[in-house]
Amino acid sequence: MNDFFLILSVGMCVLVLFCLYRGTFGPGVLNRAAGISAIGTKTLIILLLMGVIYDRIDMFIDISIAYALLNFIGTVVLAKYIETTGEA
Amino acid sequence: MEVTLLLEATENAFRIMEKARAHALGVLDTAVQFTGEQTRFMEEKRWQVLFAGAQRRKTRFQNFVGTALILFAFWMLLSGHFDPFHLTLGAICCIITAYLFHDLLFANVRVGDMRVVALRFLCYIPWLIQQIVLSNLHVASVVLRRKMPINPQIITFKTKLETDISSITLANSITLTPGTITMDIRDGVYYVHALDQKVADDLNAGEMEDRVAHIFMEADHLYVEDVLDAARIYDALRV
Amino acid sequence: MIRDSQDVIVKTLSRLLVPFMVIYALYVIMHGHHSPGGGFQGGVILAAGFVLLVVSHGLEQTRKRLSEKAAGVLSSIGVFIYAGIGALCLILGGNYLDYGKLSKLLPVVPAEARSLGILGVEIGVALAVMAVMFTIFLVIFTVGEFQEDDRSEK
Repeated sequence: MNDFFLILSVGMCVLVLFCLYRGTFGPGVLNRAAGISAIGTKTLIILLLMGVIYDRIDMFIDISIAYALLNFIGTVVLAKYIETTGEA
Repeated sequence: MEVTLLLEATENAFRIMEKARAHALGVLDTAVQFTGEQTRFMEEKRWQVLFAGAQRRKTRFQNFVGTALILFAFWMLLSGHFDPFHLTLGAICCIITAYLFHDLLFANVRVGDMRVVALRFLCYIPWLIQQIVLSNLHVASVVLRRKMPINPQIITFKTKLETDISSITLANSITLTPGTITMDIRDGVYYVHALDQKVADDLNAGEMEDRVAHIFMEADHLYVEDVLDAARIYDALRV
Repeated sequence: MIRDSQDVIVKTLSRLLVPFMVIYALYVIMHGHHSPGGGFQGGVILAAGFVLLVVSHGLEQTRKRLSEKAAGVLSSIGVFIYAGIGALCLILGGNYLDYGKLSKLLPVVPAEARSLGILGVEIGVALAVMAVMFTIFLVIFTVGEFQEDDRSEK
């Protein structure tokens, strides 16, 4: 079963690279914001899979909750900044 | 002769004085009455202010206790240590947080029916998951095809939902379903980005909106109104 | 001045999320010796909750709960708690931050006193970090506004 989760998380890591491409070369700020937000979501899943693999799911759930909260706030603050300054 | 004149003069003077006295008494009476009304009015106003203040304080206290209880349940869910030391720490933290944020959690909540709403919300989740899986397969098949037959569009529709909690439930359900993203809600009009025509048609059919309205019991009072109207018509017919 | 957001989604979601976020941050602070986290991380999450409140509900609503002056006082109090516990250990005859010596004051064994001392230090660190992060965010977010006002006046 561990192999299954390991393969799953490696696949997630590969998917992160596509989002990283969008976040780096994406035309405009909005594409970059969407790419970075997607990277955050995938990192969340990877953290949980790590927790399952290492049998410390109670510890990794705390980390992933904090990560999800900070990701959400980062996106909201970025959107507010773009709305306030009008630079898109 | 002079004596009678004198007597008449004194009687006249007395009469005038009586009249003046009655007049003054009347003025005094009205004045007393007026001030009494004024004071009674002031008294009523003071009581009203006191009553409203007590009402507000009672609502604030209820909000405080409710917030503290919910947060304490969340704390116990997180913590997992049930010894007295950690429970005391949790109680102190919950009281501080509830003191700071007592007006946030329960703003614009209709009192009552919370149990029904929770039950219906739990029944709504499986349908939402099924919907997510179905449209996930659809979007995957569209995107992985070689020609990629997408047709991005922004559709707008006016909602019938009233409270903000139901409208954000609908907005987040739309965003969770792959292929559609809620961009904005402005004055009850949803601006939704849809990936292709089929997804947009599914959204325009409005089944999700009906279900969300059913959760928060916003469809119910429409039926009740219909029933009342029918009763009035029956009454008219019978007469 | 950061204005009240008119967006229904962000406003309602943050209204529901902020109390849970603050209680989660307090959990991270208080359970620093059982699970990952501690003073710094918990303080950052606590500050993030207030930042979310500023962004969604505007500056006025946040000032009612935590004003700038209170943030300044809290940052000093945090550092004072940290340094005070350290100096208390020094006074009681140990090294700086030698929590075991606190058992002379508290009616517990030295191991228990060590745990309590670490908890106190973490609370101090969390208060200082929260106040300083919040102040930095407010300064960055309001200075640009002031400059814009100056420009429009000219």
